[in-house]
Amino acid sequence: MNPKTEHKTSRDAIDRILAVEEELIPSSGFLAETMERVREEAAMPRRIPFPWLRALPGIVLAVAVLCWSGFELMRAVLTAAQERASVQVQLSAATARAMEPAGWVALALFVSMLSWLFARRLAGRSGLL
Amino acid sequence: MQPGPGGSGLTGSRGALFEMHAAISAEEDLAHVERVLAGEVQAFEGIVRRWQGPLVNMAWRYCRDRDRAEEMAQEAFVCAWRGLASWRRESSFSTWLFALAANVFRSELQRFPVVNVPLEEVAEPAGPTTQHEGLAEKQIQEAVRRAVMALPTRYREPVVLYYFHEMDVAAASRTMGLPEGTMRARLARGRELLRKRFPHLSRESGTAVIPVLRAEKEALR
Repeated sequence: MNPKTEHKTSRDAIDRILAVEEELIPSSGFLAETMERVREEAAMPRRIPFPWLRALPGIVLAVAVLCWSGFELMRAVLTAAQERASVQVQLSAATARAMEPAGWVALALFVSMLSWLFARRLAGRSGLL
Repeated sequence: MQPGPGGSGLTGSRGALFEMHAAISAEEDLAHVERVLAGEVQAFEGIVRRWQGPLVNMAWRYCRDRDRAEEMAQEAFVCAWRGLASWRRESSFSTWLFALAANVFRSELQRFPVVNVPLEEVAEPAGPTTQHEGLAEKQIQEAVRRAVMALPTRYREPVVLYYFHEMDVAAASRTMGLPEGTMRARLARGRELLRKRFPHLSRESGTAVIPVLRAEKEALR
């Protein structure tokens, strides 16, 4: 059975109420107002699309730099870990104390970034951005 | 929902005449689109004239506020103007326009939601005690429509579009950009919620609503 027919045969009062809706006639000025807005749009200078092609080298370069930085960072961390394991570098008590809050600073920065992203998202939804 | 000759929606049976009208309308749409894309801004008026009725009525079903419906329909036309070149002609112009309008209405209502009462708080329709049956019938209809607006968003839109497209699931799913199966599932859930809210209406079929309410009340005595 055609699903459409199936629905029609099992119509109930809710179906009949919702299927019959009063037709709204657009107000007399609707057409003119809409065309006015369209003409305004047409008169506006064309939006310049984002130049993806031109931006491509920059994007590729940025990605490459990021990857390279990540790679270098990882290498430095691994080298430091290896050195530490072999030489057992003893940090002075003062240096060790200074390094302690570094983790907390990183966490605070991360939370700040999350909160900034969240605020941006909310502002975007409300049309402020 | 198809456009009427005067721009307002045409409801009723879909006969051969209707099919012919739809075919002519599609050709006219195509001709107007070609002219607009060739730089003739004025040709867009033909499109607005033909589709203003359906789009305003569709927007009305989304928000049930006449002024807002016109604003939303106008926004949809402006978006259609901006994106006319993106119509790939794989689907009919009306399918593309309705899908675009649904997107516009959805984002407009996300930005400024319609204030709806929760489904459980939608007033029970006035029943058999009402002196004027016509008035009671109207109240029932109003309550059901308010209940549709109170449905959760994921079920409300399928219900709105299903009845807007004269109970054509395929057309409604094309407008929403959802697979038919998903559309059918959401529609079923939406209708189930409505039936739970108005059990006396779902039991009754093929007759007027008032006698059923009256019989229910008498049975309770």
